[in-house]
Amino acid sequence: YPTRPVDKDKAEAELAITIKKATNADETAPKQKHVRRCIVYTWDYHSSQSLWAGLRVQPILSDEVQTFKALILVHKVLQEGHPIVLKEAQNQTGWLETCARTVGNDGQKGYGSLIRAYVAFILAKLRFHRIHTEFNGLFEYEEYISLKNIDDPNEGYETISDLMNLQDQIESFQKLIFSHFRGSTNNECRISALVPLVKESYGIYRFITSMLRAMHRRTDDMDALEPLRQRYNAQHYALRKFYYECSNLKYLTGLINVPKLGQEPPNLDDSGT
Amino acid sequence: MSLQTLGKGALRVAKNYTKGYSDVQAKVRDATSNDPWGPSGSQMNEIAQMTYDQNHFVEIMEMLDKRLNDKGKNWRHVWKSLTLLDYLVHAGSENVVIYFKDNLYIVKTLKEFQYVDEYSKDQGANVRQKAKDISNLLMDDERLRRERRTRRDMRDRLVGGKG
Repeated sequence: YPTRPVDKDKAEAELAITIKKATNADETAPKQKHVRRCIVYTWDYHSSQSLWAGLRVQPILSDEVQTFKALILVHKVLQEGHPIVLKEAQNQTGWLETCARTVGNDGQKGYGSLIRAYVAFILAKLRFHRIHTEFNGLFEYEEYISLKNIDDPNEGYETISDLMNLQDQIESFQKLIFSHFRGSTNNECRISALVPLVKESYGIYRFITSMLRAMHRRTDDMDALEPLRQRYNAQHYALRKFYYECSNLKYLTGLINVPKLGQEPPNLDDSGT
Repeated sequence: MSLQTLGKGALRVAKNYTKGYSDVQAKVRDATSNDPWGPSGSQMNEIAQMTYDQNHFVEIMEMLDKRLNDKGKNWRHVWKSLTLLDYLVHAGSENVVIYFKDNLYIVKTLKEFQYVDEYSKDQGANVRQKAKDISNLLMDDERLRRERRTRRDMRDRLVGGKG
């Protein structure tokens, strides 16, 4: 049912080739044109089944670079694909766990721990989306969510804690990636995993900021929010450092605008934006 | 104009013919070609007016879709298609807006478009910025309405009012 002029049979055949190319053994970023094709496919056909099937057919697990690239592909499709991908991905946890299990201790090229951490992060993300179905894959800002949850402060508190847990997980994963950079070689493949992490962490940050502001406006009990405020401030400084480090990576800044956060966390009591 | 680009123009004419593209589609192909200039205001305006005809609209969307999904080497196709799209969203029929809201992901996913040419110049940057601008506009109903109205008023004034 796409309104675009498309050909389903051709799209299916091309998808298999596209997955193969996106996850080839070259130690580079998965090419964006292939990643984009996978994303567009899920919107055209409101399905990701062929994508998962395609990933299983490829000999991805025999090579650590291929496995890592497949995870980047999966992450990006979860973020930008049709919302159905987040649902259908819930049945793929077995395959994801296999990715983490199959890779050797640290692999020849040092992707072992990165793969295990990436799988852990994607599984955490999927758990979050299973519970909080109102969020899209990139946590793009939609005001109604911040309004919806403040009617029920308990649910709001819960949601913010869960978002913060996910943010912490991004934080530890990005640190791991930076610590695995290799001086002499080009780190493009590793850096390309930071791209979706920058986007996702910023989406989460904006959400938390707006939800916390709304909660401050509605409540008289400032003490109850104190733990969240403390955690928010700590995450602000960590994120600021993360973005600063990313802004020194030429490959990354050529591709996306890395957000710049203020020196100090914004004041949650005022209603500014 | 180099001989090479002249040759390309002639090839495009031949291709329009052999591939059976309609006049309308040939106009879109011209406006979004690999020539290093354009599309011109009058080209875009002509296409914008044609989107008010339902049959022409379908043909235009079909060609625009092809061009927007072209490969990196043809980054000019993509870049000019976005330029044309930006114009159509402002001055074309409401159907253009509806169609691209429906298929927003086609534009949105160009936000990470990459192409570095043989002189290591990053030709993707313009595409990325334009894709960002148009996605933001398509997601902001109020701004879109305002900008379309302004464009219409300006046009009415320029042609000296209606009637």
